[in-house]
Parts: sequence; structure tokens; C-alpha cells
Amino acid sequence: MKQYILQRLASGLIVLLGISIFSFALIHLIPGDPIRIMLGENATAEQVHALREQLGLNQPLVTQYFHYLSGVLQGDLGTSFKTGRPVLSEILERFPATVKLAASGMFLAICIGITMGVLAARFKDTFIDFSAMSIATLGVSVPSFWLGILLIMLFTVKLGWLPIAGGTGFRDLVLPAVTLGVLASTVISRLTRAGMVEVLSFDYIRTARAKGLGERAVLFVHAFRNAMIPVVTIIGLQIASLLGGTVIIERVFDWPGLGSLAISSIASRDFPLVQGIILFIGVIFVLVNMLVDIVYSLIDPRIEVGQTKEGAS
Amino acid sequence: MSQVNPAVLSPPPQQVSVREDGIVRKLWNNPKSRYSMLILLMVIAVGIMGPWFAPHDPTKPYYESLLAEPSAEHLLGTDSIGRDVFSRLLHGTRVTLMVAVMAVSITFFTGTFIGVTSAFVGGVVDTVLMRIMDILLAIPNIIMAMAIVAILGPSLTNAMIAVGIAGIPKYARLTRGSTLSVKSSGYVEASRAVGTSQARILLFQIMPNIMSTLLVYTTLQIGIAILDTAALSFIGLGAQPPTPEWGTMLSEGKEYITDAWWLATFPGLSISIVVFSVNILGDALRDILDPKSN
Repeated sequence: MKQYILQRLASGLIVLLGISIFSFALIHLIPGDPIRIMLGENATAEQVHALREQLGLNQPLVTQYFHYLSGVLQGDLGTSFKTGRPVLSEILERFPATVKLAASGMFLAICIGITMGVLAARFKDTFIDFSAMSIATLGVSVPSFWLGILLIMLFTVKLGWLPIAGGTGFRDLVLPAVTLGVLASTVISRLTRAGMVEVLSFDYIRTARAKGLGERAVLFVHAFRNAMIPVVTIIGLQIASLLGGTVIIERVFDWPGLGSLAISSIASRDFPLVQGIILFIGVIFVLVNMLVDIVYSLIDPRIEVGQTKEGAS
Repeated sequence: MSQVNPAVLSPPPQQVSVREDGIVRKLWNNPKSRYSMLILLMVIAVGIMGPWFAPHDPTKPYYESLLAEPSAEHLLGTDSIGRDVFSRLLHGTRVTLMVAVMAVSITFFTGTFIGVTSAFVGGVVDTVLMRIMDILLAIPNIIMAMAIVAILGPSLTNAMIAVGIAGIPKYARLTRGSTLSVKSSGYVEASRAVGTSQARILLFQIMPNIMSTLLVYTTLQIGIAILDTAALSFIGLGAQPPTPEWGTMLSEGKEYITDAWWLATFPGLSISIVVFSVNILGDALRDILDPKSN
């Protein structure tokens, strides 16, 4: 077990290093002179020179990377080119709003996904199963931003129950969280259904039924727990990808989170901020995945190194 | 040379070849995939011929009918500067098809190349390539696509390239997995034993046998590519106005959500119908070609 955790930490560390190289390389992959692109065509030679100095782009590439990495390790992700504020402060200011949205979305996704999955499995090959799985396929086909707009049309414009957008209060949270939750629930409901259908066909379930147990006890005490192992993993992995999914939803609802910041920083070509956000999201993603894998290995000791992702997906 | 049982050299019987004529028939026999195929054929027809039948120029503003409701003159209404939504939607179909073909081709060719190389060469090449893929997988798809657009600059072509590249890591991993499983099968081992060249094994034994898995994933990838490119356009990082692209139209529609319901409704509905049909078709293909993965 200890060895597994150490190996998982080591491979996570390599990926983290890789992400730091990717985010560092971002600015160097821009075709043409990134400084000219950031400052615009009308910039004077002095301005160009000053910014190049400030970003350290006149040094050798390897020196630049180690300088960048040592800065990152000390919590210095550079300075936003547009606002002049430290990139990390800008990110940390927006991050809580994104976490709040992603967590609420995840909570709803789990409630909706597991309920639909269990119902579909219990009533396999009936209308309930067909409807639940059609909704799940529909969920992966409908653009998140369209679902968001439809919900605004219905609950804000037509019924006037909820505010349109812009705030971060509870009432502002409802629609973006529902949008996110409904879409994220599709994977959970499919996986729950698949797990439950498999488990319900096992002999011990037949035995449980044969000895006269009620259907509720069979479903929730005997089948549910065993069917949940892959679902728990996918939920863990979903937490990280939800952080990516919030980007578009934040735009629809003008939610002041990390996604909105990412979009505006790309539009204004504020590269230090773009680099910082990519690095930050990548690090969060890797840490959450690593944590999920380790927790998973503690729950299910059969798991071995190298099997985790494939086994989970 | 020792005698080799010809049965060992032929692909395993449970593998269904992509070339087998029965696939289209099997898809046709399943009502869900039949309807989705019909819808997709219609979408392709509209994409090719739609612009000729469009009643209006998709970029021409009719200032006398701004935000006009759907009517006989403008079937799906007009937008904020009086452009005909129906004509824009028809032209947008072609853009969407282009997105599907271009983005998915980038993913398919590069991903297959990386995956097959990784599995076939093995050793350090495999380790390095897969580590790079792991790193790229650690960044959510849409964020990755946004990063690439940040590098290349916002435009429809760059959005397609970005979405295509963002899909590569998952695809490469999948191809690698399929190649490895075929590579270790008895008939490939036997071919190698009788001295078949590596190139022949790759082209005539491995490629045809991983195609069914790749076809399933490629179909599902079309849906993802259409959604992600539309999302990039929606947030202003893809197609730029006045290009009649469905994501851009939705973004414009969002601004008039209280006055003109039709602006955001129809482009979203179009995206959903196309992606839903592609996904149903992909699921049906998976059931036929690759039942174990379901």
C-alpha cells in the first residue's frame, strides 16, 4: 500500500512538472513576437524592450524555465499584464466562486445521477429505463450553454422566479448549478445503471431475494454498495473535470469565477494570467485525481499501480 | 520453414471487420440508429446544398425588420441587425460539417499515429509519448482548447485546430491500448514467427483490426468536436461575427434573451439534434463493432 501511494505521488509529480513546462511553453509557442502581440502594433521600441525585460524573455530558454519554476514553487506566478496585480492573487480571488459552483453542481449531479441510474437498473428494459438512458444521452448532446440559456428563458424571463445573472448569492447559484449538475449527472447515471445491472445479476442477490428479503433491502443494502465502487471513482474524476466544465457555464451566467477570468484573459491576450490559470487548473486536476486514486486504493485494496485510470474509466 | 496452421494467421473470428457489408444493414435494422442515420444524411445534404436554397443572404441586414418574429418572410425570424436566422442556420450547417471533418481528422490521424507508434515501437518511445499524453490529459479538454486558441489567436480555423489537438491525448491512449491487445494476439505472433515484415504486420494485421474500435470512438468524437467548437465560438474564441456559426449565433442570441426567444433557441436545437444523432449512431456502432467496451 505504502509503495502504491509513493508510486502514485511520483507519477503525479512528473505530470505536475510536465504541466509547468506546458504552461511555461505557452508564451513561446505564440507565432511571431508575443510582446508585440500583447502590446499591439503601436507600441514603441522602449515599451517592447521594457516588457521583454520584465517578463525575462531575453534570457536563454532553460534559464527562463528554471526562473519560472522557482517562482511558481514560491507562489509567484508572475504579474498580470493588464491589471499589474500578481497572477496568484487574481486567481485566488476568483477561485472560491468556481469551487462553490462546481461543488453545488457535483452535489446535484450525484443526487440526480444515482437516482436515475438505480431506477433505470431496477426497472431495466422498461419505459423508465429507456427514458432515463435517453435523458442521459441527451445530456451529453445538449450544449451546456444552450441548456443554461433555456433555463434562464424559463425561470427568469418567463416565470421571473430567479435573477438573470451577475451575482454570487444563493438565488444566483441555482440555475448555473442545475445546468452543471444535470449535464454532469449523465455519466454517473449511466455508470450506476451499468454497475447495478451487473450486480443485480449475481448469485448472492438471487440468494438474498430467495431468503425473502424486501426489494428495498436487496437494492440498497446488498446491490448498491457493490455497484458504487466504480461510481465513486468517476465522481472523484468528475470533480476535477467539473472545474473545466464551469468555464462555459460561468460565461452564460456571468458568474465571477476562474472560467470568466480565463476567457477574459485570453481575449485580452494577458499571457502571464493565461499561463497562471492553465497551471493552476492543471495542478488542481492532478492533485484531485491523485487523491481519488489513493483513497480508492484504500477503499478497494485489489487495485494496483497502472490499473487505476483504465479501471476507473 | 515449419508449417503454420492458416487459421492461426487469420484474424480472430469474433472481430468484425469494418469492411464487412453487414454493418450498414445492422445499423439500419436498429430503429434508433436508422433515424439518426437519416437525420445525419439530411444534415449532410443541407450542409452541401442548403446555402443554395437559403432564402436570404446570411450576412445581409434588413434594417426594416430588426428582431422580427418568425413569419412567412423570415421563417425563423431575424436577429438584432435584421439578418435572416433561417438562412444563417442553413449556412451554419456547412460550417458545422467542416468543423466535424477538420477537427476530427486532426484528432484521428495524429492520435492514431502516436498511439500506434507508441505501442508498436515500445520501450523509451512508448514511455515518453504516454507521459506526454498523461500531462496533456491532466488539463480539461476545453481549457486545453482555450490555451491553444490563446496561442494561435481566436478564429474558426484555429478553434477547429485547437479542438482537434485537444482530442489527441485520449485518442492516442485508446489506439495504443487497442494496438497492444492486437499485437499480443496469436495471429500476429505467428506472422512474426514466419518472418512477415513489421510494416506488413502493421498495415495488414494491426490497422484493420483496430479500425472497428477507432471507428466507434471517431464517431463519438464528432459530437465532442462540434460541441467544443461551438462552445469556443460561444465564448468569443472561435468563429467571429458575421460568420454564420451556430455557437456564435447562440452567443448573439443570449444578448437578446428577453426580447427574441428564437435567436438562441434554433441554433441550440440544431447543435443538439446533430450531436444527439451522432451519439446515438456512435452507441449503435459500439454495440455492433465493439460490444465488450460498453
